[in-house]
Amino acid sequence: MSTDMSVAVGGMKLRGPVLAASGTFGYGTEVPLLERRALGAMVSKGIFLRPREGTAPPRIAETPSGMLNAIGLQGPGADALVRDYAPQWAEWDFPVLVNINGESASEYAELTSRLDGVPGVAGFEINISCPNVEQGGMFFGNDPRAAATVTEAVRKRTKLPVWVKLTPMVSDIGVIARAVESAGADALCAINTFVGMSIDLNAYRPRLSFRTGGLSGPAIRPLAVHLAHQAARAVRIPVIGIGGIARAEDALEFLVAGCTAVQVGTATFVNPKAIAEVHDGIASFLEARAFRSLADLPRYLPRD
Amino acid sequence: MLDTPVTGKRQVARGMFVIGMHAPEIASAVRAGQFVNLGWSGGPLLRRPFSVYRAEGEHIEVVLKAVGSGTGQMLAMEVGDRLSCLGPLGRGFEFGAGAREAVLVSGGLGVAPMLLAARDARAAGMKVTWVHGARTAAELCSEMDGDTVIWATDDGSQGIAGTAVGAAPAADVVIACGPNRMLAAAAERWPEAQVAVETYMGCGTGVCLGCAVPLKRGGYDRACKEGPVYRAADIDWDALPSHLPYAVVA
Repeated sequence: MSTDMSVAVGGMKLRGPVLAASGTFGYGTEVPLLERRALGAMVSKGIFLRPREGTAPPRIAETPSGMLNAIGLQGPGADALVRDYAPQWAEWDFPVLVNINGESASEYAELTSRLDGVPGVAGFEINISCPNVEQGGMFFGNDPRAAATVTEAVRKRTKLPVWVKLTPMVSDIGVIARAVESAGADALCAINTFVGMSIDLNAYRPRLSFRTGGLSGPAIRPLAVHLAHQAARAVRIPVIGIGGIARAEDALEFLVAGCTAVQVGTATFVNPKAIAEVHDGIASFLEARAFRSLADLPRYLPRD
Repeated sequence: MLDTPVTGKRQVARGMFVIGMHAPEIASAVRAGQFVNLGWSGGPLLRRPFSVYRAEGEHIEVVLKAVGSGTGQMLAMEVGDRLSCLGPLGRGFEFGAGAREAVLVSGGLGVAPMLLAARDARAAGMKVTWVHGARTAAELCSEMDGDTVIWATDDGSQGIAGTAVGAAPAADVVIACGPNRMLAAAAERWPEAQVAVETYMGCGTGVCLGCAVPLKRGGYDRACKEGPVYRAADIDWDALPSHLPYAVVA
């Protein structure tokens, strides 16, 4: 296959447009079955400065064409990440970005300082969109000033690429996108999960112990394509599309709608080869239509 | 990950069925207590985890009840229909050398890992006592393999009236599988028992952290990686949900 699949996104040149979404690929070390050859980049499981236990089970509930999750950003903290995972990432032939979290702007900044310059850490994805934490997360992502404050705080601590993952739980994603762009983001990731709830009719209470969870999977794809498109119209920096991508055609919808790259998430749970299949499918699509490179793919992106 | 054909189906108790599939790599590698994660075209979004019930030659079997639309679809499958089979996954039972007898305690669908547990216990030189309980005689699994087999039913319609945990003899090595509430009772009686817990599961491969098992020492780990087999005393039973519509053992 000779189609040029490389993309330039948010301060990085990537060999392909299909990335592993945070929280769906662990730290990249878990599954030997995974085909990593096609990965443009990987975004690691979201991390806080300090270890976190996460939420009580049940943490997941399947819904029509989707799933709700409330993991609560369980993780080992920055020191363990630097010790156990970053050295492995430094050996890999694709970049790893760390999805960073905090309960305050200064905590994001401190975490960035701790990870900046660590071999293996190629960049940052700021998570201001997690619906499953009591503080921080989505509460920064649905306020343009708070979103900008967090982005600035991280931007000041690193010269590595800084991407910002946006929440769909806003009335106008363009407002948040512009605020984050002005604050120095190199790229936007759109979108994180929608907040949802499902009820256990035997127990007369929510199926998740956290009450609500983040909805992902094919169920959200048309919503996600629209929001990623809205974000892309609002800014000049690249947008990475996320939401229910399981096949090449799904990814191509995001790309035509104005995204520079995509992340595959929930589909990896079902099919560990999903990323490689999406990558190869995009290449076949381009080849069949005689496009020499992904850059030649027509885009539908009227500017706001 | 294998694309595998269904090779057979049979009933082993009221509402309980065994489905066989051709999966050579898994059949030769699987240990008692490990599981496979099954998906199929037109099925639900997420795969469904099943303990491996039997492994012979190039075939494996799983046992299930129709508890939801997913398992309902599986039971409607015919020989030759395709399953996508990921496994073997998780950490199984350990049968260290030295012990002379293993007691297997299963409730309902908790029979799922026990045929292989009996095989592995014998391979480690142990005699096997299998205690199997269900609500009624009709719900007892008809396929048992032990040097001694003890039945228990809630209504007394077969064997001892009462629970499998109550009916089991004293033993050094205890292996238990069944509803989490039954396992909590087993943990009271045998803190050192090895139990296979049931949880909801997302990926089955360790990345989603959906199958969290609460631990006595605090925090959670993953049923799909560190489990599904645990030392009974290590689990915080009060924090582990019971009453799941489907589970790793189902």
